[in-house]
Amino acid sequence: MVREDTVSSRVTHAKQDLSAREVAVGLALVAAITFALLVFQEPLVHDSLHNLRHTGGIVCH
Amino acid sequence: MFRRYVERGLLAGSAGGLAFGLFVAVVGNPLIHAVEGMGHGHHGHGGHEAAAVSAATTNLVSIGGGILWGLLLGAIAFGVVYYFLEPAIPGEGTTKRYVLAAAGFVSVSGAPWLVLPPLPPGVETALDIRTAMALYGVMVLAGVLACLLAGYAYDRLRTRGVGVPLAVAGSLVPLTVLVAASLLVSIPVAGEVPAAMATAYRGVAIFGQAMLWIVLASVHAWLGTPDIETPPDSLDHDADPASLSD
Repeated sequence: MVREDTVSSRVTHAKQDLSAREVAVGLALVAAITFALLVFQEPLVHDSLHNLRHTGGIVCH
Repeated sequence: MFRRYVERGLLAGSAGGLAFGLFVAVVGNPLIHAVEGMGHGHHGHGGHEAAAVSAATTNLVSIGGGILWGLLLGAIAFGVVYYFLEPAIPGEGTTKRYVLAAAGFVSVSGAPWLVLPPLPPGVETALDIRTAMALYGVMVLAGVLACLLAGYAYDRLRTRGVGVPLAVAGSLVPLTVLVAASLLVSIPVAGEVPAAMATAYRGVAIFGQAMLWIVLASVHAWLGTPDIETPPDSLDHDADPASLSD
């Protein structure tokens, strides 16, 4: 299989390779992580991560 | 194939996360407490109200959060993004990993820091938190866009037979535009911390993220690339029939 390796060939390859169920699980995981990041604004979590936010330089206040 | 890339991204992310968690434990936590204890006008964590949790909880959760932060970046950048963009990322082998790490640092931290630099406890921007978060998100997207354009410019110049130094110079154009545009935005900050401490703090924040990306790239390079042409072999416990068929 001497085929040129490009970004679009990777996309094609992933489409063939991954089942609909795996894609659904992956998207659910993305949704879960996004939700978790939103929950980080809740005061208890926010204050618990205070040192991390400053060490990581993610300071919005 | 995709699964093996994600697996490697998660492994690199675990290593990077452990390294960054350790960094939070031995450098971040003590430094933030020291800056807080320097007697500025504010009281407690966050500078606006008393903290809802104890210092011990904050230390522990911040270490755990640091580990997850590294894992998240590893999974996204070196799992998913690396799979799709590997053919387009400039360089070969190990270089590709460090180019991606540099792009990750620029996108996730560098670009937002151009307008919202890391601030020590006790110093705050004039923006309200929603605006600041939205601005942070916009700058992450701007950073991603600048990095994609930089990679695209490099690849185009190389395919037209331009030498590496000139192609690198061409790829720096979008990044320079990003920096120049950010100079137009100036957000006032309020609060005071001794200048030396503010500098030390900023250095720690920059070093921490740079170190995390370097660990991610190095561990990922050390894990090697799954070869597209090679069928799944006994080294990988990835025994799914779908990938045997190609």
